[in-house]
Amino acid sequence: MPHKPPTKEELERRKTVGIHEETVTNVSANDFPMNYPGEDHSWDIEAFKRNFRVEFHQNDPFEASFSLVGCDASIANAFRRIMIADIPTLAVETVFINNNTSVIQDEVLAHRLGLIPFKGGREGLHKFLKWWRRPADESQINNSYYDFNTVLLRLDVRCEHNEDAAPGETDPTKLYKHAHVYARDIEFCPVGRQSRYFSGDDVIAPVHPDILIAKLRPGQEISLTMHMHKGVGSDHAKFSPVATASYRLMPVIQIERPILGADAEKFARCFPRGVIGLEPVTKEEASRKGSGYEGHEGELKAVVVDPMRDTVSRECLRHEEFKGKVKLGRRRDHFIFLVESTGQWESDAIFLEAVAHLKKRAQDLEKQVINMVR
Amino acid sequence: MAKAKVKKDEPTAAEPASDVVMDEAPTSHQPEAADDGMSVDANENEDDIEEEEDEEEEEEEVQRVRLLPGSTPTAASFEFLNEGHTLGNALRYIIMKNPEVEFCAYAIPHPSENKMNVRIQTFEGTTAIEALQKGLRDLQELCDVVTDKFIDARERFVAASSS
Amino acid sequence: MSREEYQVPNTGSGNSPAIGGGSFNAGQRDFSGESGGGVIYYICGDCAVRVPLERDTPIRCQKCGARVLYKERTKRMVQFEAR
Repeated sequence: MPHKPPTKEELERRKTVGIHEETVTNVSANDFPMNYPGEDHSWDIEAFKRNFRVEFHQNDPFEASFSLVGCDASIANAFRRIMIADIPTLAVETVFINNNTSVIQDEVLAHRLGLIPFKGGREGLHKFLKWWRRPADESQINNSYYDFNTVLLRLDVRCEHNEDAAPGETDPTKLYKHAHVYARDIEFCPVGRQSRYFSGDDVIAPVHPDILIAKLRPGQEISLTMHMHKGVGSDHAKFSPVATASYRLMPVIQIERPILGADAEKFARCFPRGVIGLEPVTKEEASRKGSGYEGHEGELKAVVVDPMRDTVSRECLRHEEFKGKVKLGRRRDHFIFLVESTGQWESDAIFLEAVAHLKKRAQDLEKQVINMVR
Repeated sequence: MAKAKVKKDEPTAAEPASDVVMDEAPTSHQPEAADDGMSVDANENEDDIEEEEDEEEEEEEVQRVRLLPGSTPTAASFEFLNEGHTLGNALRYIIMKNPEVEFCAYAIPHPSENKMNVRIQTFEGTTAIEALQKGLRDLQELCDVVTDKFIDARERFVAASSS
Repeated sequence: MSREEYQVPNTGSGNSPAIGGGSFNAGQRDFSGESGGGVIYYICGDCAVRVPLERDTPIRCQKCGARVLYKERTKRMVQFEAR
């Protein structure tokens, strides 16, 4: 018997992960060759190109939201993992403390400084600055810092009494000078060619100047120097360029039987605002036999307006009135990414860098496999 | 974990290099060797450094793919160093899309070690190594398509939102 | 090493084992109070005033007479990894 090509409904069903009251069904990918007899699901770059598309929802400098439709979970996850762990970023690595008489311990202060995100000129950060490697000979370590692999920062704050404060003043920021040490107190000290790449707007500065580092009282002083190096998130979370990068699958809400009137309003309340809309039943729909709308012309019915806003809380499955009338699911190949950058890279640049990173990894491994075979 | 080193002389600040010592590594998508430098402990590394030096003397990469013993031309296991689920799952998916491949799976023997094993079993038409190479090539093609479509979508979005 | 054989560490007599490879610039003045002629400042426990003390002088704050004195933070530079 010749094999029939799958119908549109069948294709939809294959792509949907079923979400029920207490279970999730049809989770694994099934588009492999030999999974469906007579169908060819082998890798075809042209077919992929035809089916794959990208849609942007938001493209602010440090927060981007876009959809990847038509790729597999393993690929989307690979991109997400690379964005979090493998994109190089500049952060404070070594802190040389000359004096710290504050109540914050040295190591705690150093830890806090490492976590402050910095921004800088794009060309300087991504092209000019290279990696710093610890030299094999430990005594040569002071010769290993060059203008292309280390950025120097300084923090010198001394807290003193403020003579001009009003008597009876209780606010420490007014009573004392420099009582609060903020990230904006960190000075960038360009060395060598760094002033060419990092000047004016491109200066290396904290993304959030109002990050509170420490609090001081008169007589206390913090005086330290910092070295910044490039690193990756897999080494330490301070090097991760994203606050987080995540994706969710596109929700699918199918209304099988009509939901009308008061039920429709209750149905709309089961979802976040904007997911379900209410529309009046048209004369033409009411006249259709078997649709369930007979005799209900003019009443409001529930219609799915924007499933992307849904958070899939499955609230509607908890109510008796909707039993059998609605099917929830998620589209297995539609990934809605949300990339929140910490400020050093732009969100869309992070994704492009992640894709390029995966490509380069595959390229390097290809060479290694040839080496292995030889 | 804080490591304190008491030094008498402050390290000389980053100096401009008249004769630049450039690493061959590019700034983005780094080779794996960079990971070593970052995670080395400050104090106890005298012995480790010697080992590193022997392997990476010429700044060449260590062989990161190995054929595990007991492999035949059509049924082979490979061991990848410094790889994890990121590449493992993606590679497995792409290799499974090859109709000549009978079986493909990846496993990470122990989470403390950065090793990943991939097993490929093929039908008589091709060898396991060819399937692996095809998989890696397909992965690169996929990345190119994603990049192109992403850039187009971004341009369309920027144009649409500015108009 | 028995208790009697212990010797008070001398100035510039070498690196302490915890440092492991950091170079020690022996040229810098470091009076840990052994050789007379170095005045070390301590901080009074009550009034927080800097009290200079020499060897064998009685341990008392000049201002308020408190007998609990704290040592000042070292002038040496300390290095930390920001992790």
